[in-house]
Amino acid sequence: MGIVSTDLHKAGAIAVSVKDVGMVFGDVHAVRSASFDLPKGKFLTILGPSGSGKTTLLRMIAGFDNPTSGEIFINGQPVSAVPPHRRAIGMVFQKLALFPHMTAAENVAFPLKMRRHDARTIGEKVERYLELVRLGGYGGRRINELSGGQQQRVAIARALVFEPDLLLLDEPLAALDRKLREEMQLEFRRIQKELGVTTINVTHDQREALVVSDEVIVMDGGEIQQKAQPVHTYRSPANAFVANFIGVTNFIDGKVSAISGSTVSVESNGQLLSGVTAADGAPLVPGTACSGAVRAEQIRIASARAGLEGLETIVEGQVADSIFEGERIVYEVTVPVLGGAILRVFNHDPVSHLQFGPGENVRLGWNAKDMHVFKK
Amino acid sequence: MRHSRVAYPLTWRVMDVFERLAAAVWPSSFQRGLPYLMLLPAVVLVGLLVLGLIQIGDSSLRTLDTSTFMMSENYTLANYQRALSEKFFATVAGRSLMGAVIVTVITLIFAFPYAYLMVRTPSSALRKFLLVALFLPFFIGQVVRAYGWLIILGNQGMVNEALGLVGVPPMRLLYNYPAVLFGLVQYMLPFAVLMLAPALTAIPAELESAASSLGAGWVRTFRHIVLPLARPGLVGAGLVVVTLSLTDFAIPAILGGGSQDFIANAIYDQFFRTSDQGLGATLSLLLVAVGSILVGVVFMLFGAGTLAMGDERK
Repeated sequence: MGIVSTDLHKAGAIAVSVKDVGMVFGDVHAVRSASFDLPKGKFLTILGPSGSGKTTLLRMIAGFDNPTSGEIFINGQPVSAVPPHRRAIGMVFQKLALFPHMTAAENVAFPLKMRRHDARTIGEKVERYLELVRLGGYGGRRINELSGGQQQRVAIARALVFEPDLLLLDEPLAALDRKLREEMQLEFRRIQKELGVTTINVTHDQREALVVSDEVIVMDGGEIQQKAQPVHTYRSPANAFVANFIGVTNFIDGKVSAISGSTVSVESNGQLLSGVTAADGAPLVPGTACSGAVRAEQIRIASARAGLEGLETIVEGQVADSIFEGERIVYEVTVPVLGGAILRVFNHDPVSHLQFGPGENVRLGWNAKDMHVFKK
Repeated sequence: MRHSRVAYPLTWRVMDVFERLAAAVWPSSFQRGLPYLMLLPAVVLVGLLVLGLIQIGDSSLRTLDTSTFMMSENYTLANYQRALSEKFFATVAGRSLMGAVIVTVITLIFAFPYAYLMVRTPSSALRKFLLVALFLPFFIGQVVRAYGWLIILGNQGMVNEALGLVGVPPMRLLYNYPAVLFGLVQYMLPFAVLMLAPALTAIPAELESAASSLGAGWVRTFRHIVLPLARPGLVGAGLVVVTLSLTDFAIPAILGGGSQDFIANAIYDQFFRTSDQGLGATLSLLLVAVGSILVGVVFMLFGAGTLAMGDERK
């Protein structure tokens, strides 16, 4: 027992630790050797397309599936042998899974009843948590008498009322319309900060991942592609998948011609472009096939004679299409010197009222540090 | 033109011809009458039933003259008085009602896990097996199945032979109340499972996961989540099983061997043994009344919505 207690003491700051966890369904590897640590009180988002294994990973942490390899530790204790109802984990489900035969208050009271709290404590806590999710006075409503957003709030209150070690969110916002979804994202953030509960959120919505999280894990094909803070994930993607999945990114294919430090020279269609190596990416050597990734908003667009001062890479092109999206204009520009590649460019300049029409000759420019070079 | 002919498949052209024919026979101004027309066969069938019921009501008010074997001309309530006062009929009614209730309870207890497994199993092979096993008895008539039990449970039947091998003397397994109830449960099980399965399918599996993540083990998940949500199915299945067992004829007749008559057997005896149409009709009407009251009470207690009718519950 002595060993266990010192372990606990050492692991005190880590709420969840996933070690080499794998999940195989038949001959499909849903999750391959996933490992990460999540400190207490942090909000982690697992981001990935459908089929990337993110929900499987979450279900294993919740205890609904057991990993076929590896181990999950919660508060330093291995949990493989612990059934879901004995793990102190609150979960908000994709379809919320509210109990339709109970009122909002009865739903929130359910986990407390299962833990045999006395009636007075239950009443007080239910009221406090309905208050927390701003549903004071709605306790007596039946579930089908509540709006979508209100149901979300009941589900959050129910998952938190028993003060779980960990809160899991399984894409509960996916079904909401955009405005309500953005409102609920901030609500999740507020409640999580207020209670300081360690949270793991699963989503395929990159915006949600960036807005709500302290840390983001990007998954694809059952493997963790990158784990970093949102800003880092966005600004320094570890590989082409991450660069492509988050944000709108242009890829320019070529070959590495020279490397010095983090600066890379890429040869594409006879043009030399400079970029930087990806911070957490695979190592590059001269001659390897690579692609340079530049985000659409990091390319400046200007008329054919404009200077574009201060930008290191400048190419000329022709507008193929311009799409007005309200707060920004999206250009698709054909660049002959890059083998006719079409680059997407966002223009957020609201002051000049300038818009280039299809067929117009323009110049595009970007900084070398904004082109991340990945091994192909 | 030729191009469009090619793109227009033959089946579509055939359907066009049908539609034109239908339009000629049944112009669109009649369209609104169509739903009512489609209701007609059902109305005619129910109407015939009502006519029969009136006929039976008429017979029930006439007594049999045992010397002439003619029905009396005058209306009298004598049959009702006999049916309600004679101890034999009270015994039969009590046995039927009690039997129906016991059979319903046992059937629901057996059917629930079967339906649950069938709905929730991730293995489609197991689901298919359970479904086939469920439908197989429907292909074997009730009477044939009852005779099958005679062979299995008879004094020289398979069960007694097997018991003999381990030194147990032959037992009387047939022609008693438990044998009838056993036969009825076996007969009712598929009906109950078929009524329960849709109700259980309507409960999202996620609710059970949610309950378990909120701290409920499977027993409490069952008690607080599955059972209350399955109530419409349980009530519906219970109603079907109660009414079918209450009115069953073949199983009490064959497995009861005449000593365990249910109401239907008594009615049969009146019609075809003593030829007392009047008393038979009276017993039939009383059975209809008891059944209707039972269904009425259940509807009042649980609401007609329990049979998944109407959408008061979403």
